[in-house]
Amino acid sequence: MASKWFRVAVAVVVGAVTLVVGMAAAGSFDTTVDPNTGLVAGSNAFMFVLAVALLLAFIAYAGVEFATTRRLDSITSQFDTRTIVLIPIAIAINIVLGQTVGNALKIPLYLDSVGTILVGALAGPIPGALTGLLANLIWTFVLAGTPFGSAFAWPFAIVAAEIGLLAGVFGYYGFFRSRPNTSIPTLVGGVVVAGLILLGLAAYGVLPFYAKGGFTFFGTNPTDSLFTIIAYGIGIGLILALVALTIQLFVRRDLGVAFIVVAGAICGVISALISAPISAFVFGGVTGSGSDILVGAFQQAGSSLIEAVFQQGLLQDPIDKTIEFIVAFLLLQTLSRRFSARFPQGERAVGMVEG
Amino acid sequence: MSGRSAWWRADVVLKPDEAAGPETAPARLSEADTAYLASLAPAAISRYQRLNPLTKATLATVTTLGAFVLGGYLGPLLLLVGIVLPGAIAAHLLRRVVRVAVLFSLPISISVALVSVFTRAGSTVLFNLGPFDATLEGVDFAAQIIVRLFTIAMALALFGLTTEPRAFVVDLERRGLSPRVAFAAAATLETIPLMVERALAIQAAQRARGLDTEGSLSARVRGVLPLVAPVILSSLTEVEERSLALEVRSFGRPGRRDLLWTLPDTGRERALRWLLVAALVVALVAPLAGVMPRLP
Repeated sequence: MASKWFRVAVAVVVGAVTLVVGMAAAGSFDTTVDPNTGLVAGSNAFMFVLAVALLLAFIAYAGVEFATTRRLDSITSQFDTRTIVLIPIAIAINIVLGQTVGNALKIPLYLDSVGTILVGALAGPIPGALTGLLANLIWTFVLAGTPFGSAFAWPFAIVAAEIGLLAGVFGYYGFFRSRPNTSIPTLVGGVVVAGLILLGLAAYGVLPFYAKGGFTFFGTNPTDSLFTIIAYGIGIGLILALVALTIQLFVRRDLGVAFIVVAGAICGVISALISAPISAFVFGGVTGSGSDILVGAFQQAGSSLIEAVFQQGLLQDPIDKTIEFIVAFLLLQTLSRRFSARFPQGERAVGMVEG
Repeated sequence: MSGRSAWWRADVVLKPDEAAGPETAPARLSEADTAYLASLAPAAISRYQRLNPLTKATLATVTTLGAFVLGGYLGPLLLLVGIVLPGAIAAHLLRRVVRVAVLFSLPISISVALVSVFTRAGSTVLFNLGPFDATLEGVDFAAQIIVRLFTIAMALALFGLTTEPRAFVVDLERRGLSPRVAFAAAATLETIPLMVERALAIQAAQRARGLDTEGSLSARVRGVLPLVAPVILSSLTEVEERSLALEVRSFGRPGRRDLLWTLPDTGRERALRWLLVAALVVALVAPLAGVMPRLP
């Protein structure tokens, strides 16, 4: 285990050094707040440096492990035969659900990552990321000649990989565990903490994108009454969903739901931040699913294209990913524990091993 | 079999030492294996389909990325006319490629058109529709995106219709793709039809128990859960059997696998692939360096 900590330490040092060097190379960041978007102007450059630093840190981790042991056990052990067999089934679940829900029903949800989340939770972050990446590439390149193919899935492969990676990390820390029969005080405390985390996430991750000199949800132009109705519809739907979840939480006294909602919301915000630029630059902001009406609504309300896509994504992705995490959570609870425990991270994910 | 081996060689299957003892080693593939390998190579083939799958994939990928990198109208149209259309004509598949590409790109194109034309800010208003102004800028933007998306859809449709996906995966494996990743990709292809079949069987079973799957919208929505949950759960439990089946066939054994067949790859195709990649890099770097002006 000592060698594991050594590798992690090397990776952290490499990442930190890259971050410092990158920041220095990029010069001083423009920290003035853009009056239009309410965002710090240097955040894009920072995100890029951060991504490079994370990549180098991962390479350093793998490199140290290979140099010391001549193997990559901590990574390859996440890929046993069972995981490799699970991956195609997970990808098929993604594609079948995504194709029917996202493209055929025109509901403003994607639901094309349930399988990826399952692999991440059961097998670990790296198989999860690989599943996401492969799913979108296969969707485009291997299935191109079949009725299930989609020519426009591949640019979002990086987002799918991020979802699998995060699901793996959340699985490692036990976010997918069911916690039934929690005592009422703990339950209330947990709900309050989860609520605070969600509020913090909304305040720092989501709301800055809507703050255009004060928070206006959809503009105040009276001619846009249609969109105001849509906005209220979405808002009411959100509140109903949260209330239903809370009731569920108290009926089953299962604190696990609070963990899942937090995990899904965090994953959704990060996914939105990554996918919005892709969507804006590659597709002109639309995906061909029901969510496009939101982009139009925000643009009509006066946002530029990129702002509208961020606003759409930050509204839709957290809801979508939360639902997907809950679906994956319910599936994990339904599967037999004997089945789950045979995957590399299964025992941790469903809570048979503490810590 | 030698008659079929014009462009792929399933007949070169044995290493010399194994082929030496004709009475011990099985000298030829079984009927089922021969049939499977033959299914990888469709009988009706044009020159274009005979290209190595990687060459076709490179053509599709470079066209796709090039359409983004070049942007505007002229770049994607040049790629469409210069690369995709000749390929489709050479493959005698022009009509089918166009049809699949339209199916791919129609829903998203409608979205692009509606969202951009009516809600994109612009100064030149063409006409009004209620609260929405159709602007010239919006029409221009939507047309650019649609041209780009159609070019991409055409390139990928051509790739999909001319390439047997399993042959592509096997070819990638021969070039060093991890056999496990190759298995995952190939198995996905088999899993989706199986899953659809399973869904139909479960639907029939649930209807026999009285589930309403064809009534009103609300009835159909209520019917989704008793359908989807068993499909997913039974697919997942199948992992058990499949992984045992693979394990007893030493799937997890490390080391390289010898593939029983190869697709031909000529030096000319290899040169073409590198040329395409180089062209893409130039198209990416040149405008940044200010050497090449952006195409309109």
